[in-house]
Amino acid sequence: MAELDFERRLERLFADAPELPDATAFAEGVERRLATGWTARRWLIGAAGIAGGLIGASQLIMSNIFQRVESAGDSARALQAGIVQVAPKAEWVSGFASGGVVVWVASALAIVAMGFALTRVIEEL
Amino acid sequence: MVGSTIPRFASLHDVELCTYAATGERRAFGELVRRHGSGVRGLLRRMGAAPSEADDVAQDAFLAAFERIAEFRGEGTFAAWVKRIAARLYLRRLQKERKLAAFATQAMEADPPDAGGDSDASLDLDEALKALSAAERVCVTMCFGAGLSHTEAAEALNLPLGTVKSHVKRGLEKLRARLAPEGVVSEGRRGNG
Repeated sequence: MAELDFERRLERLFADAPELPDATAFAEGVERRLATGWTARRWLIGAAGIAGGLIGASQLIMSNIFQRVESAGDSARALQAGIVQVAPKAEWVSGFASGGVVVWVASALAIVAMGFALTRVIEEL
Repeated sequence: MVGSTIPRFASLHDVELCTYAATGERRAFGELVRRHGSGVRGLLRRMGAAPSEADDVAQDAFLAAFERIAEFRGEGTFAAWVKRIAARLYLRRLQKERKLAAFATQAMEADPPDAGGDSDASLDLDEALKALSAAERVCVTMCFGAGLSHTEAAEALNLPLGTVKSHVKRGLEKLRARLAPEGVVSEGRRGNG
């Protein structure tokens, strides 16, 4: 019992830490480091976003995306023509296959998703 | 502005400040640092860190706490939570400096020179801790200052549980012999939450 009392007393003594004279200066130092860290992180995320965007754009250009979109459009039209012959009333397919718009939208969404994922990963780091 | 305390933060409870801090409100976290900075630094000094080293580790601990503030569920106190982080960071630093390895053998070594105190003297905790070996001081402070269990302390120190228990037991015996009876301990101390 006495041992338990002593241990409780010890816990109280440890919790009862004296206020150090430079407590405010210490807190200001921590706040400064926090601010610096956040500024650096914002720059890093921004730079990574720009780099990612440039890489994505260059990849799109390098991969002959415009030719591929054109050929995809042709394929879509051929597919549409084929499907119309098989099932003339399949209206939804014609909506899907109208030109290369779908490919553009999908590409844009993919880039946006990649941007979000990249940002999230950097924030986690 | 760095270092400024918005009055409304000063009046909030720690848990509320943590909620603000979790949304990225750095001034709310600054108020927490103001409240508990001395306690964390004091704990590290009691573990044996030099004042400048204690300040460095305490700063790192608060930065780590801010990063992980969403993990703080308010089950214990914020002070206890950040003290645990600080204690572990300090141990990691000791490990890097290869000072922890010696802790395993210190139980067999002779006691350090007596701090000059006896049970009648009005010794405070800091003075009494000086009579402990480095291993005893770290183990006692981790268990009674940072609130770690013996098992958690053993894991953090990478020591066998029996060794940690032995250090704690010997440390407690020394402290009991040197600390003044309750009520005689030096006054003028002020808690910071």
